[in-house]
Amino acid sequence: MTAPVRILVVDDEPHVRNSLAAWFREDGYDVSVAESGRDALATLAREGTNILLVDIKMPGMDGLELQRKVRELAPDATVIIMTAYASVETAVQALKEGAYDYIVKPFDPEAVSRLVRKAAERYSLLAENRALRERLADASPALVTSGSPAMARVIELVDQVAPTDTNVLITGESGTGKELVAHLMHARSTRRFGPFVVENCGALAEGVLESELFGHERGAFTGAVGRHRGKLEMADEGTLFLDEIGDVPSRVQVDLLRVLQERTLKRVGGNETIRVDFRLVTATHRDLEAEVAAGRFRDDFFFRINVFQIALPPLRERTEDIPALAEHFLARFATQMNRRIAGFAPGAMDALLAYPWPGNVRELANAIERAMVLCRGDRIEASHFPFGAPPVAADRSLVAVEAAHIRQVLAACSFNVAQAARELDIDRVTLYNKMKKYGIERP
Amino acid sequence: MNVRLLGLGEIPPALAEAVLAALPRPFAGGEVASLPASFEHCYDRTRAQVDAACLIEHVPGPEPGWSNLALTGADLFMPALTYVFGISHLGGRRGIVSWFRLHPEAEDAATQMRFLRRITTEAVHELGHGLGLVHCVVPDCAMHRSLWPEGVDLKRPEYCPACLTSLEERCR
Ligand SMILES: Nc1ncnc2c1ncn2[C@@H]1O[C@H](COP(=O)(O)OP(=O)(O)O)[C@@H](O)[C@H]1O
Ligand SMILES: [Zn+2]
Ligand SMILES: [Zn+2]
Repeated sequence: MTAPVRILVVDDEPHVRNSLAAWFREDGYDVSVAESGRDALATLAREGTNILLVDIKMPGMDGLELQRKVRELAPDATVIIMTAYASVETAVQALKEGAYDYIVKPFDPEAVSRLVRKAAERYSLLAENRALRERLADASPALVTSGSPAMARVIELVDQVAPTDTNVLITGESGTGKELVAHLMHARSTRRFGPFVVENCGALAEGVLESELFGHERGAFTGAVGRHRGKLEMADEGTLFLDEIGDVPSRVQVDLLRVLQERTLKRVGGNETIRVDFRLVTATHRDLEAEVAAGRFRDDFFFRINVFQIALPPLRERTEDIPALAEHFLARFATQMNRRIAGFAPGAMDALLAYPWPGNVRELANAIERAMVLCRGDRIEASHFPFGAPPVAADRSLVAVEAAHIRQVLAACSFNVAQAARELDIDRVTLYNKMKKYGIERP
Repeated sequence: MNVRLLGLGEIPPALAEAVLAALPRPFAGGEVASLPASFEHCYDRTRAQVDAACLIEHVPGPEPGWSNLALTGADLFMPALTYVFGISHLGGRRGIVSWFRLHPEAEDAATQMRFLRRITTEAVHELGHGLGLVHCVVPDCAMHRSLWPEGVDLKRPEYCPACLTSLEERCR
């Protein structure tokens, strides 16, 4: 793994250098301090510092002089000048002589963190944080599949488009994994160190949605807290995921389109123009082409967001994935609930394979969580699923039990009568007759 | 690991209890207490703010198995920075969280919930620093650095698996 970036804070005021050192240590940088230019040069020679934050006004060797020496001794090092208002002109002088940038004390924490992060990226993107690489790998969401061709195609598309800045539209029924795919694209993009910001556009009234997306300014509040930054602004340098984009009212579509074109925005009720740089991923369960054709969705906005489309197939069209997904959720909930469950009884897996999953992967996850709560033994049984359970009949007659059993076996075989007959060890005609007798029909 | 939440100055009733109750693993519980409000000499008149580096020296060092975290409504700064949400002794199990900048603008029940979630998230963050964790790149991990109050809303008041593992090792 790459070594952390080394920072040296040079300031004659111990308070300033120590508090800044603490601030940058929390970011995982290796930080040293120096109280004078002479001290700084010694540390630079000893440690091979990457970034120096240098106070411009110091007794003895001042910041400008130190910067010149650093340029001679370590031309690869980055110098950032710290200045008070009074000495901004000197700071500009420092820029002319090759300083990377300057900041005016006291700094906005946001500005200084960003500046140093940008400088650190020049050394190594990955050196920024000690455990960065492993951590990203750990946190990156996993798209579970048993290799169904449909999902293999999705993964191929994700890999292809993730590293670009292209706007992506993800389509698919609710619960098919659209948000997961968006997150995965972020984790595999060059913006992965930036934020991943999610907004569900379907859940909010028009006015609220507008303010959530664009932020707002309100004068009448105490202190510095009167403004609310919107999701667009917060996604700067990262990925913005707008779920249920098909539900966005036309007026908000126009505003969003403008931001996509101009890459700037104004908060609601504000005048300041704010630059934003995010990658847009949208999702919908609607058929947007049809919505556009029907005049319910703006075509200019649609063309803008639909540069690249990924369609997620419903779970019933990739039943091959069910066993792997089921095992995945079983393991996940076992850890969460601190339970030990060995796996699925054969009938249980059959029931999972037979069920049509209108709520897709989300419904599957919920069904498994519920089954684990009900499960007392060490295996999940078909009866732990709402659709796998025999109808709760007070009637314990042989006829009622037989009807329930037949229903269950048929469901487990997707109503393939030949297969169900084999499992029941009766012939097909007998099974048809019994189905008729008990009023069992294909769903 | 136990947590002692120390009210510094005036603190809304039940706030500390609510934060304590919401702390995630590896924190197992703890107690709420208060510190005598003695931060006049940490107050900077020209900035009308409290020096966080000065204030943290008033948070007592914890006994083994405990982390001490002060909660305050004071507007905190560090000498070169305009403001901070909190401060910690990295690995020293001592820290401060301020809610001054975490207030959402409205006063309705939903924003009160958001406010409580923000304080809890930042408390979880500073407690992590107190146990030696540095910032995390996982966007919704409590150890992610947030510079704006709205940025705190993007995190969860919990640690990502990697941070949790590392914390549990440190608590052992
Ligand atoms: N292929 C998959 N592998 C693992 N988990 C999945 C997969 N697809 C969906 N999920 C999980 O199912 C749930 C629903 O997925 P989500 O992305 O929210 O769906 P959508 O956005 O399409 O409604 C989430 O908990 C998600 O993590
Ligand atoms: Zn921090
Ligand atoms: Zn983390």
